[in-house]
Amino acid sequence: MKIQGLKLTQFKNYDSGQFVFSERLNCFVGKNGMGKTNLLDAIYYLCMCKSHRGVNDRNVVKHSTEFFRLEGYFLNEKKIEKKSKSKIKIVAKVQPGKNKEIEKDDVAYQKLSEHIGMIPVVIIVPDDTLMATEGSEERRRFLDNTLSQLDGDYLKNLITYNKILKQRNSALKKFAETRSFNAELVDIYDQQLIGPAQVIFEKRKEFINSFRPVFKEFYQDISSGQEKIDCIYSSSLKYGDFANQLKESREKDRILTRTTCGIHKDDLVFRIETHLLRKFGSQGQLKSYVLSMKLAQYDFLKKNHISNPILLMDDIFDKLDEGRVQQLIKLILEKNFGQVFITDTHENRVEEIIKNFATDYKKFYIENGELKE
Amino acid sequence: MNFTSKLVQESVEAFSSLPGIGKKSALRLVLYLMNQPKETTHDFTAALINMRENIKTCSNCHNISDTEICGVCSDPRRDRSVLCVVENIRDVMAIEDTGQYRGMYHVLGGVISPIEGIGPSDLNINSLESRLEKEETKEVIMAVSPTIEGDTTIFYISKKLKDMAVKVSTIARGVSFGGELEYADELTLGRSIVARIPYQIKGE
Ligand SMILES: [Zn+2]
Repeated sequence: MKIQGLKLTQFKNYDSGQFVFSERLNCFVGKNGMGKTNLLDAIYYLCMCKSHRGVNDRNVVKHSTEFFRLEGYFLNEKKIEKKSKSKIKIVAKVQPGKNKEIEKDDVAYQKLSEHIGMIPVVIIVPDDTLMATEGSEERRRFLDNTLSQLDGDYLKNLITYNKILKQRNSALKKFAETRSFNAELVDIYDQQLIGPAQVIFEKRKEFINSFRPVFKEFYQDISSGQEKIDCIYSSSLKYGDFANQLKESREKDRILTRTTCGIHKDDLVFRIETHLLRKFGSQGQLKSYVLSMKLAQYDFLKKNHISNPILLMDDIFDKLDEGRVQQLIKLILEKNFGQVFITDTHENRVEEIIKNFATDYKKFYIENGELKE
Repeated sequence: MNFTSKLVQESVEAFSSLPGIGKKSALRLVLYLMNQPKETTHDFTAALINMRENIKTCSNCHNISDTEICGVCSDPRRDRSVLCVVENIRDVMAIEDTGQYRGMYHVLGGVISPIEGIGPSDLNINSLESRLEKEETKEVIMAVSPTIEGDTTIFYISKKLKDMAVKVSTIARGVSFGGELEYADELTLGRSIVARIPYQIKGE
């Protein structure tokens, strides 16, 4: 999948803007805070129906305006039938007092989840290191982001699981407030959680199994170090029957008024040699680690999705020195990645590197939410 | 809007306080009534006052009723062997409109949703149990919306009824009734009640 054109209205610091992209490589250059990243976010929004990192839509609308609108013109190139190209128009509309609307070719989706996975996307940002340093939620977000784009059934089960979990937790809170307990109702929620939990567990396990070797390979490619790294899936569901676990933790759940076991507690353990990356990895190793995760995510989506994902890379020089960036761009161009977007604060740095490769590319100079010709 | 008459203004405000009626429509209605004989307005307001003063909830099935016991519950021609469990009174109207159902009803008053502060004890579940103990019901049809909360509710009630001598069935799920029973077109809803399927309690 490729994006050929983008129109923004009152999106973040853009009052209005219009872009025509290269189908291969695009660079947004400009000083910090000028709106380069916001363009990546606009593309991401059209693919995932939300701003990356879950920013609230109210903060996405341009300051002192009421609504925003994004229009993306995509080219659908399915990998199997190379000749079948079709154009798709995606529009995102957010306005106060109304539900967010995503339209495909002028028809609004009934459920936003139906759109997820149609245009696969991977975004690489400096904040990715939070995956290694923060709590397990960031790492589950990575799992969910990858699998939701590939597997509608995964997303459906995840949504169901989260809804039931919320109801169960609300019920536990209400019981504590009213000093009562309805064991029959909790039984029902337990029963309802088991099916989706099992599906999600199996799919996450299978994903990590095929993801690990690819991930390790990318790490070796971008770091010159010889250290062994690994990424291990951790879930309570590995250790026996989930139904029993729910039963055993019920008393604890009742006291804490929340559900203490289940796939919403799953984690990925990042290892370097035999240690935890978070505790023993250097800054450089940490950055290389999460970058490899993202590149492997790209590779995984590319192999398993019917269309090539769009790759968005924000400020890669933050992660790597110039030599490494050169290596990375070489890797991307040689490994036949699809359409790529890069941002950089230096006007010519990326260009200097790209010159060494015969490739189609376009440079956009961004200043104060505007494209300078 | 400047009315020059306080009487007109008050009437317009009264109408426009109703859902779906804006100031312009309200003014049109007021002007219409103003130009009709006085009796039209008298009859109109009398009907509303009478409705509001005398409307009851059926003490048996919780449907709306003019009397202590509603028209369905007191009708000897209705089939007392089947009982249809619905969320609200509008569902009763939707099913009655299909003309394909001749059994009894039980209005729950919602679905179980602790997030919205609705637990099982906030719904008419106890009265359903006591009805089934004394009435001659053979089959309970769960006509509850196909949402997760609807599922929880069906599941919960079915477990309560497990030891009673009644069969539990659900109306065909996935038929296009747009998530809510009241929006179902009559044909689809009618058909799905006729083609209902036995309910299997999960994990048993
Ligand atoms: Zn009645």
